[in-house]
Amino acid sequence: MRHRVVITGVGWVTPLGHDVETAWRRLLAGESGVAPIRNFDARSFPTTFAAEVKDYRIPPDIAASAKHKNISRATYFALDAARQAWRQAQLPAPGSAEHQQLNPYEIGIYLGSGEGSLDFAAFTRTAIGNWNREAGQLDMPGWGREALKSFEALREIEQEPALPINHLSLEFNARGPALNCLTACAASTQALGEATEIIRRGDANIMISGGAHSMIHPFGVTGFNRLTALSTLNDQPQRACRPFDATRSGFVIGEGAGVLILENLAHAVKRGATILAEVVGYGSSADAYRVTDQHPEGRGAVMAINEALKDAGLTPADIDYINAHGTGTKENDSTETHAIKAAFGEYASKVPISSIKSMMGHLIAAAGAVEAITCVLTLRDQILPPTANYSVPDPECDLDYVPNKPRPAEVDAVLSNSFGFGGQNDTLIIKQYKA
Amino acid sequence: MSGRCGVDVIRAFDASAFPCGIAGSVPPFKTTDFVPKSYRKSTKIMARDIELAVVAADNAVRDARLATRGILEINNGKPPDESWYTPDPARVGCNIGAGLICADLNELTEAMARAANPDGTLDLGRWGKSENPDESSGMDALAPLWLLKYLPNMLSCHVSIIHDTRGPSNTITCQQASAGLALSEACRTIERGQADVALVGGGESLVHPMGLMRWTLLNLLNRSGNTDPAKACRPYDKRCTGTVVSEGAGVLVIEELEHARRRGAHIYAEIRGLASCASGLPLGSADPAGEPLKHVALRAISDAKLQPEAVNLIMPPASVVPQLDQSDANGIRAAFGHVPAITTPRGAIGDAGAASQALDLVFAAQMLNRQMLGPTLNSDQPLDGLPLVQKAAEAIDLKNVLVLARSLAGQHSAILLGRYQEAE
Repeated sequence: MRHRVVITGVGWVTPLGHDVETAWRRLLAGESGVAPIRNFDARSFPTTFAAEVKDYRIPPDIAASAKHKNISRATYFALDAARQAWRQAQLPAPGSAEHQQLNPYEIGIYLGSGEGSLDFAAFTRTAIGNWNREAGQLDMPGWGREALKSFEALREIEQEPALPINHLSLEFNARGPALNCLTACAASTQALGEATEIIRRGDANIMISGGAHSMIHPFGVTGFNRLTALSTLNDQPQRACRPFDATRSGFVIGEGAGVLILENLAHAVKRGATILAEVVGYGSSADAYRVTDQHPEGRGAVMAINEALKDAGLTPADIDYINAHGTGTKENDSTETHAIKAAFGEYASKVPISSIKSMMGHLIAAAGAVEAITCVLTLRDQILPPTANYSVPDPECDLDYVPNKPRPAEVDAVLSNSFGFGGQNDTLIIKQYKA
Repeated sequence: MSGRCGVDVIRAFDASAFPCGIAGSVPPFKTTDFVPKSYRKSTKIMARDIELAVVAADNAVRDARLATRGILEINNGKPPDESWYTPDPARVGCNIGAGLICADLNELTEAMARAANPDGTLDLGRWGKSENPDESSGMDALAPLWLLKYLPNMLSCHVSIIHDTRGPSNTITCQQASAGLALSEACRTIERGQADVALVGGGESLVHPMGLMRWTLLNLLNRSGNTDPAKACRPYDKRCTGTVVSEGAGVLVIEELEHARRRGAHIYAEIRGLASCASGLPLGSADPAGEPLKHVALRAISDAKLQPEAVNLIMPPASVVPQLDQSDANGIRAAFGHVPAITTPRGAIGDAGAASQALDLVFAAQMLNRQMLGPTLNSDQPLDGLPLVQKAAEAIDLKNVLVLARSLAGQHSAILLGRYQEAE
């Protein structure tokens, strides 16, 4: 028997705000979370701006907790987002008598979180200081001696992508299935899909699922700049990310976390939880095409969308809104448009599509989770967030992208796409809950 | 099986500054020998972790006689012989666990040296743009595709491209528990009808200055002073002083039973039970009673609809860290009234992070297939009298092997593999 899976709590830390309502209000207002980079001095970089989580204050009790010392920026975001979601789901506060009544093995965690950031000071100093220019290589014994004194054990191991789930497990005493998948920009959508499957097959009653990531550090931005994937419109950062627009020129890197509480429907009903929405479909595929490019016809994307529809038992006409991957790169947006047309047929031109990356930036591994939460809010408020910065239509992208203004709509089922470098494709379908 | 040890002094780089300078290193190989001609260029954007996975996948696909795109191309468009099977790409998944892939220090430092301050720090003001317009900047010294060498999902991605696997693909990054979790996830995709076949496992190289530095600082490594590398790594032994880093990749072809039967595949073993859990404990610590390990072991056994007595052999996590090994011993004793035989290849190989459980699973499948018990090297003074297999031996009806893993971050995975017999 396959259990139904519902969403009972959501939480996020994003470039547009550190709580759900603030950032949602700003998304609907078409505001931008993009600004010149403050995390480090990026003035010499081809791209000098990003969608950073700004003026972030770690919740004081998390900051003071011995359990969460030395953790990376993204792990703080994950903890904060998970606590918001846990509270909204009205699950008992960790440490309370009610919390101790929960069976810890029935609570699992599945995140699509990225790696933590490098100890930049120690890394650069030990490397440069031991560079042997003549030999064109590092003096390894010198590097080794200095590295053992300069790096800190905890700071290093906290960079492992498994660490955010470790901290959530500690915080909530969650001992059920615990996984992290790092499938690039599709990671947290995949995590939500697979977490749904875990509850469906009865391996947990509650899954804390989503993702967290920050690559806004010197080598992260370097990597994407070398790939020429980022927009370099340094004189107009807030206008830089233009999904589906003919003048789009690359994505804007963001950071943050999104976490959802997924729950076995019967479990949620029994404890009288408020049900926000239901996860009804999940599809996943690989392009198996190229490491650098998507398949030009979106072969894998079409397969993921079709699988999700089949899984949900829905047809394209049942989908009222598509939350696009919509990165704002030349390639993604035309390929995604192509894929939607292939999967949706004549209905493609009728379904509204938008990309919140135009305002939120691209949160890499965390993007899918933040977009899934956006889908939940879309269902709640019956309003579609816009694609900001849309002005010049592209013949390659000729669908309805909800340009620049939010749009009230009757929304029952929504579909969210995430595609990752290397050809990873994941699609989720979220629907109004009906008993 | 023969009791040889793969642990030796590190030769990949000069590790003389490290108190433990030994590791399990993979002997030299050329990745280009394992990919089709058209893909040789792409090997330039593979970190060693990726190379290891690509080679292991090639081995596994050949062993399973799958005439994938890569095999066909290497073999001039034809399957090597009639016993090979050409799968439907959309029905093949790829699920290879990965670790935190370390950047090549020489490549990155050469670039940084161009933008260095006199005091040895990096001048970010010159890193992105050179002061001299005729000269390229530090950043420009890095290859355009530099970042792609280090994305953990590139193990699965390269393998999926080479062998044209378009079904569900995933990259689990849960350190030592990654490969079992990857196998479990792929197994579930087959169970729910999304694939017939999947390439599963894990790959990682910790034989890297950054990996060695991290494990040294975490106090996980061996204290025997590099004097006798082959005898250094002693899992579940009273003389254990810590583990050694290693590298490798293990890939298994898993397949829906009827699908395998129809095409006449050789079946090594059957996947009978799966389970996972978390410890809820801080990094690097284990419950003194081994409670989460007991839980995950029993859950995998009940998933297989079996009783603990049905398990003939346990492959335990074998962190080879005294406090963690003691926790395992306690958890195993608590789960099993009568503890069955235990073995681990860790003494011969070391800890290969995300590859470790993949290597254990390959080992388990081989033992079931050959009806042999593999040896636990260097552990003739077993902790708490654990029944460690000392020497390779023929097994008397080896039916069920329980493969357990626990990551430093507390994720556990348990896989129960069973002997496959046609009559069943």
